[in-house]
Amino acid sequence: MNIFLKELKSHRKSLIFWSIGVFFMVASGMAKFEAFSSSGQSINTMMADLPKSLKVVLGMSDLDLSMASGYYGMLFLYLLLMATIHAAMLGATIIAKEERDKTAEFLFTKPVARTTIITAKLLAAFVNIVIFNLVTLVSSILLMGKYSHGEDVAGEIAVLMMGMFILQILFMVIGSALAAVKRKPKTAASQATAILLLTYGLAVAVDLNEHLKGLKYLTPFKYFEAKNVMYGGGLETSFVVLSAVLIGVLAFATFFFYKKRDLNL
Amino acid sequence: MNVIEINNLTKTYGKARGITDISFHVEQGEIFGFIGPNGAGKSTTIRTLLSLIYPTSGSATIFGKDCVQAAPEIKKEIGYLPSEVFYYDNMKVKDLLKYSASFYKKDCNKRIKELAEIMDLDLNKKIDDLSLGNKKKVGIVQGLLHEPKLIILDEPTSGLDPLMQQKFFELLEEENKKGATILFSSHILSEVQRLCNRVAIIKEGKIVTVEKISTLQENNYKKFKIETKTQLDRNYFNISGVNNLEVNNNVTSFIFKGNINDVMKKIAATEIANLWIEEPDLEEIFMHYYEKEV
Repeated sequence: MNIFLKELKSHRKSLIFWSIGVFFMVASGMAKFEAFSSSGQSINTMMADLPKSLKVVLGMSDLDLSMASGYYGMLFLYLLLMATIHAAMLGATIIAKEERDKTAEFLFTKPVARTTIITAKLLAAFVNIVIFNLVTLVSSILLMGKYSHGEDVAGEIAVLMMGMFILQILFMVIGSALAAVKRKPKTAASQATAILLLTYGLAVAVDLNEHLKGLKYLTPFKYFEAKNVMYGGGLETSFVVLSAVLIGVLAFATFFFYKKRDLNL
Repeated sequence: MNVIEINNLTKTYGKARGITDISFHVEQGEIFGFIGPNGAGKSTTIRTLLSLIYPTSGSATIFGKDCVQAAPEIKKEIGYLPSEVFYYDNMKVKDLLKYSASFYKKDCNKRIKELAEIMDLDLNKKIDDLSLGNKKKVGIVQGLLHEPKLIILDEPTSGLDPLMQQKFFELLEEENKKGATILFSSHILSEVQRLCNRVAIIKEGKIVTVEKISTLQENNYKKFKIETKTQLDRNYFNISGVNNLEVNNNVTSFIFKGNINDVMKKIAATEIANLWIEEPDLEEIFMHYYEKEV
């Protein structure tokens, strides 16, 4: 319990900054939508002229951008990127920092098992991720309510946030597993971020090239895309199961390898 | 009863040398010195005992329990001071000590105050504002606040001024009188000589010898210094037991271990001007241990 509270406290400031960041992300995004929709010109006709690759990279393909919900669907990609970067870095750092800051000789000579320490740390990271997700959910619902002109979007947002939550947890355990396995845990955070960007790049490539469709299982960014999830699509069961399995395996790896490894002192 | 028992402990890190086949034990209630130069494997041994790293082969027990299997349980009664102290920078000394105390199921507040007083430590400062010596003091208080039965110290005096060292040693002797066993690692002989009952000497990852300090000092070794009328031939004292032989004009000196009559006869056979026979200090014995295997 003491380790859990200590971790919550030490990540509090960073969580506040991320929360402010995600709030402004939603706010500025929706403010742009307001500017678009009030100019009278349909965004869709304007966007139709953009090359497909650019639309894919910007996350706006197949979405009706003239509607608040469609526009939010595009914005969701950026929220998702922010949330998963936060989660991956958090998962890696929370495990690796004792060795990075050389406090391992303090903490790991206390009468607690390594698994207890990891459990407390992962729980603290989990709480941070829940809060990040709730802040995004609440900011989205509030700000969308302001711009949606009566279109009911709360339900769509809630489903999108569920998808985002699963991916947050997935990237958190990717980070923590890296920190647990690696001999130089200091580099775990940057590697987790690298994996994230790589899988994002793969997701873009899959969108651009029909032949790569089979690779969609390799990139979490294809699991819960706004265009599939919204308008009643929901979370696809196969991807929910796949995510759960990956999370289970990576969480197990975190405990298994960290318990057996020499600490880097 | 043995508080620590180390059996054929080996730890290798890839190609780098760790420790090889280390065995010794520390008895209940003693202050045990663990001495060797930097990089000899002292910290590696201690970190293996604390299961921060795991043995490649061999095993160790603390309080009769395996140091890997029963790690969380035995650590309840261990106080550890690492050679370099690092703490969470943004914490106050007070908060760090409270955090440390929260791991032990007893009230440590009174002891924290006492120890801080003895070590002259300001509890309200932030840790990153502290000097090296003051950080070390935080480490000392942190290691002793739960009144552990086994205190493990890894080069504890670096950074402490002589006055504080003195207070710290008194503190350790007091804890020892109350029943604590102490494992004291160091590369400074005088402090081991001052504090310890027995000592293990480690060199290049191997234990060279384990002996009582008193045995090391008194029984075996004599330091000879002989002043003669004329310079002696270097080979004159070429008998077994003579070490560290130095011939400097008319002054010859060496450390001797063995039958003292043999040397006395040799000395009696020459014309001497002056003669000193002394107990060597540990430093000289130690150098001897190191040199003889070169």
